[in-house]
Amino acid sequence: MPEFDPDAYARQAAAAVALPLHERHLPGVVMNLALAARMAGLVAQMPLTPADEAAPVFTAGRTPPK
Amino acid sequence: MSAAALAADIRAGRRRAVEVVEAHLADIAARDARFNAFTEVTAARARAEAVAVDAAVAAGRDPGPLAGVPVAVKNLFDLEGVVTLAGAKIERDSPPARTDAFLVRKLREAGAVMLGALNMDEYAYGFTTENAHFGPCHNPHDLSRIAGGSSGGSAAAVAAGLVPITLGSDTNGSIRVPSSLCGIWGLKPTYGRLSRRGAFLFVGALDHLGPFARDMTDLALAYNALQGDDMDDHAQAWRGVEPVSLEGGAEDLRIGILDDHFARNGHAEAFAAVAAVARALGAARHVTLPDAAIGRAAAFLITMAEGANLHLPNLRARPDDFDPGTRDRFLAGALLPATWVQQAQRARAACRAKALALFEEFDVLIAPATPYVAPPIGQEMIEVDGQSIPVRPNLGIYTQPISCIGLPVIAAPVAGVPTPGNLPIGVQLIGAPWAEDKLFRLAAHLERIGACRAPTPRSAHA
Repeated sequence: MPEFDPDAYARQAAAAVALPLHERHLPGVVMNLALAARMAGLVAQMPLTPADEAAPVFTAGRTPPK
Repeated sequence: MSAAALAADIRAGRRRAVEVVEAHLADIAARDARFNAFTEVTAARARAEAVAVDAAVAAGRDPGPLAGVPVAVKNLFDLEGVVTLAGAKIERDSPPARTDAFLVRKLREAGAVMLGALNMDEYAYGFTTENAHFGPCHNPHDLSRIAGGSSGGSAAAVAAGLVPITLGSDTNGSIRVPSSLCGIWGLKPTYGRLSRRGAFLFVGALDHLGPFARDMTDLALAYNALQGDDMDDHAQAWRGVEPVSLEGGAEDLRIGILDDHFARNGHAEAFAAVAAVARALGAARHVTLPDAAIGRAAAFLITMAEGANLHLPNLRARPDDFDPGTRDRFLAGALLPATWVQQAQRARAACRAKALALFEEFDVLIAPATPYVAPPIGQEMIEVDGQSIPVRPNLGIYTQPISCIGLPVIAAPVAGVPTPGNLPIGVQLIGAPWAEDKLFRLAAHLERIGACRAPTPRSAHA
């Protein structure tokens, strides 16, 4: 498994979402992606099963008071 | 003068709202430059609202519990006729708001007089209010230091005595962090309690709105006035108005002191503040909030992704118009793998389940609000637990795990704790969902026994 390369990833992901990424912004973006990767590593430690639903739940609309 | 005292005088006809508003406008004109709390002073509106309050009193009508009380709001709240800046230069190009935000309307219905909009971190993405476009907000206790953020102007205006009540928003700690650093009271209610309509979104999944005040009577006055049913905020979980009271004492409340994550990652004064409150309450039971670091990480990722996606068109078209302090985080946030974010939303729900179990044994949990007192404006790094770390993101280390799961919190300014430079610091009083009433009873008790109170800034009137 290759290591996460935030520089290469940033360039490719930016292309995927049509976000022009300027060279002058790249160092800050790479630093923040590396930090986010560490946070994602922490989150991945939480044991979850298919029964663990995501926090936000869509509501079709509130019922007006009777 | 407190909001309660001002309203009592105005309601009884001892003072006129127009005199009160003129005095406050003059005070803001004379003193705000040193704090940089206000980005807009709505003088004409304030004068008109004060005239209406005086007319109501003269006609024998009830002008409301906040009659003639000067208030102001973080500049992400819509004020009719004013451009909602949300701390961003980009938003200067937006049209003025057509109506007031829901909570602004509630304040007005209670008789309050709106004095203006307050400084903040760009798009609420920060803990320091070192805004590159509108300048840094200065802490009234030491003008060379940050006021905290992102609701820095809201906290500084109250701490400096420019207005007795302000509103802010809290996504990851943006009410509780500046409350702690400026030494005032702040409330982040339960997620879904107060309507967020007309407040500029940051992270809809985590955004809360709430009030700041210098004493508990005013905080309760504000919170009771802000409650109201809003069919147009889909995130509001309406339970009816549940007014809080400061009466009833705190003897029946089971208090837990959070350890583990909340007993490291900070400086001695943060833990001394918690210890002082625990001593004052005779509270000795320590308890662990499971997976706090995971909850914080989840909030971090959700914030990056959701916040960035809101601003994607501007990130594509004009990235250099963003504050350099927020731009690269937004750019990176637009690129996160969906797996990271979805996993964070599921981990968040799992964190909530574990936290709720604690409230079978405890009514209120106590934790530090910030890891240290206000750092100097511009400081980049700080030493914590023997390591040099970035000072700004670490300011939310204790608040993020709590807002991640939507629990209500009162940030309480702790009295009599030795701190560097005698600067203020606060603690979080954390309740079960919808248990704001218990937090108000406990906070009022702490204020009554002198364990917590808002200190008067030395530099504010110099």
